[in-house]
Amino acid sequence: MELQLNDLTKKFGNFTAVDHVSLTMTNGVYGLLGVNGAGKTTLMRMLCTLIKPTSGNITYKGKNILELDGRYRQLLGYLPQEFGFYPEFTVQDYLLYIASIKGLRPAVAKRRTKELIQKVGLSKAAKKKMKTLSGGMKRRAGIAQAMLNDPRILILDEPTAGLDPNERIRFRNLISELSEERLVLLSTHIVSDIEYIANEIWLMKGGKIIRRGALDEIVGNMPETVWICRVEKQKVSFMINKYKVSNMKSEEDRAELRIVSADRPLPDAVQVKPTLEDAFLYYFGEKAGSEDVEI
Amino acid sequence: MLKYEIKKVFLKGRNKIALLLLAIVLLAVSVMTVNRVEYVDENGGHKTGIAAARNLREEKNKWAGYLTEDVLRDVYRENQAINSEYASGSMEDEDKIYQKRQGISSIIDLINNANSPWREYDYYAIDSITEDQAADVYEKRISGLEEWFASGKETFSREQQEFLLSQYKNLDTPFYYEYYDGWAALLQNISTFILLLALFIGFFVSGIFSDEFQTKADAVFFSTKLGRNKAVGSKLGAGFIIATAVYAAALIIYTAAVLLILGADGAGCPIQLEMWRDFYNATFLETYLLIVFGGYIGMLFAATAAMLVSALTRSTVTAIIAPFVVLCVFPFLSRIVTLPQVCSFFPDRLLDIYNGVRDFSLMQIGGKVIGIPAIIILVYTAVTLVLQPIVYRVYKKAEIK
Ligand SMILES: Nc1ncnc2c1ncn2[C@@H]1O[C@H](COP(=O)(O)OP(=O)(O)OP(=O)(O)O)[C@@H](O)[C@H]1O
Ligand SMILES: [Mg+2]
Repeated sequence: MELQLNDLTKKFGNFTAVDHVSLTMTNGVYGLLGVNGAGKTTLMRMLCTLIKPTSGNITYKGKNILELDGRYRQLLGYLPQEFGFYPEFTVQDYLLYIASIKGLRPAVAKRRTKELIQKVGLSKAAKKKMKTLSGGMKRRAGIAQAMLNDPRILILDEPTAGLDPNERIRFRNLISELSEERLVLLSTHIVSDIEYIANEIWLMKGGKIIRRGALDEIVGNMPETVWICRVEKQKVSFMINKYKVSNMKSEEDRAELRIVSADRPLPDAVQVKPTLEDAFLYYFGEKAGSEDVEI
Repeated sequence: MLKYEIKKVFLKGRNKIALLLLAIVLLAVSVMTVNRVEYVDENGGHKTGIAAARNLREEKNKWAGYLTEDVLRDVYRENQAINSEYASGSMEDEDKIYQKRQGISSIIDLINNANSPWREYDYYAIDSITEDQAADVYEKRISGLEEWFASGKETFSREQQEFLLSQYKNLDTPFYYEYYDGWAALLQNISTFILLLALFIGFFVSGIFSDEFQTKADAVFFSTKLGRNKAVGSKLGAGFIIATAVYAAALIIYTAAVLLILGADGAGCPIQLEMWRDFYNATFLETYLLIVFGGYIGMLFAATAAMLVSALTRSTVTAIIAPFVVLCVFPFLSRIVTLPQVCSFFPDRLLDIYNGVRDFSLMQIGGKVIGIPAIIILVYTAVTLVLQPIVYRVYKKAEIK
């Protein structure tokens, strides 16, 4: 199985949202990491045949997915970033309906719906209307609908957005459990979402994939070094303006800063092993700690 | 798939309210229709409803049978007798005349129609003609038409004149007569009811396509295997089923309610008893079926227009307006800017076949003369059919931006 993006470009008017992206995907989890507006959703929409590329194409096993049409979408599970549903449907009806438009036979649809409701932990809410669910429950219904047809290709656009930390961890585990034996593409701007589950990470910026590789490669090939140093409180703002600071821990009258920099920022700074978060900051961060960096 | 598509429509809050409103409208129109039948009793008391219908029916059915010359003469004499019995001209006597005439009023109407100037109705005609003239209604119908053609006050072509004349001559006489007031009342209000019904149905189906976008369920919908083929078809199917089911249910309830209360006799009587100049030689039942069928096509056309706008604009509100434009605004505007010939082809005419068969609305294609109701039914059936694949294609190709 092979999904290929060939020189894929999407323009909205003069604005290029996805800029000549060429990639190949096989089995495994791909983490698409990028700040707001990087083009993640646009890329995923093209993968789901929701929008057509301005130029370039996507092929599955060598055939254009737009020509494969239903035969390609049959393999697809998609959880959109803005997950919409039918507010008056119960969870169960919602899943049965999606199963039907996914072409599942009624008996299979019933079985899968039952299984997935259990798997995502919505058993108690199965008869509740979709509109009455909490944000986290909606997301779980969302992942359940994506999984109905046991998709070979699972595309999840910021599946953890808006979830509380507990829910996020549960969701992450669920995704890693579901990711066996299929191709999963997961977008996020939260590093910890994919740090441990992605086999390959893509860093996307301005419509381009600027770095890709396994976690170690991305982190290891970072041209700058990560340092930890302690400074007095009044010097903190000076340091934040001068360096890319990926983390800060307050101590009594001092602060411990984690800094990404080519040079040793202070004489007593200690070099440490970089993490993906540091890499994110290095590639995407402006100085003065970006909110996108999850602490 | 279809089941859930239909479920989506009727689970929507605003559609539930609309359904309730439709039930109220149905009740109101039924009550109005039933109240059209009145009966005045011996003491001058006005009655409506079941009792009135029962009394009137009893009175009228005393005259049930073929309206032969002899029967017409009897009616003429009966009328004279009533007139001379209450000849004072006082209010009481006038009321009495009205009361006594109720059993023969429909037949008097017939005689009046035949003896009134063309396109007019002289309420007192029967009082100023001879018995022979009263007996001669069927001949009068034909000769009246011929005289009108001869007067040159109309603009029909030779073929059209011949067509109308042959329709007139082909009408079976004498008429079979019995109490038919239930059917008459039903037909008088049915056009209004069908128009309202079409607007309601347009409302129900207006969200079938656009709500996917409005609720943002579109991204999942169009990324599924059948989202760009069968699932679109099932939306069209849902629209058709909802439209047909609501239309049929509402009309069956309305018709049943009215005829159960007013009586269903007269189904087999010629419609000319009620619409003297109608050139469609049909019974009340047949005319009713034609009206209902025409309305069905008009309603389907309006519903399809709503669905097309729904798919094109992705806005449910805009889609709701479509049937109004098609059935109300458009025809209304075109009547201000008089385009009479074009007017008769607007879809609202389909919902008003009742008046369509009343008028001499004709069209000539080559040498063949056809009534406009028949033409618009055909045309809009075709247009509605052609629109289905268009809606399908528009929706199938949607991009989700
Ligand atoms: N339909 C559209 N028309 C015009 N511009 C668009 C459209 N969709 C996206 N864009 C633009 O393309 C760029 C990429 O958008 P996209 O939604 O793909 O980013 P993203 O990486 O998913 O961001 P986020 O993390 O906020 O979800 C943005 O600048 C956005 O404004
Ligand atoms: Mg996005």
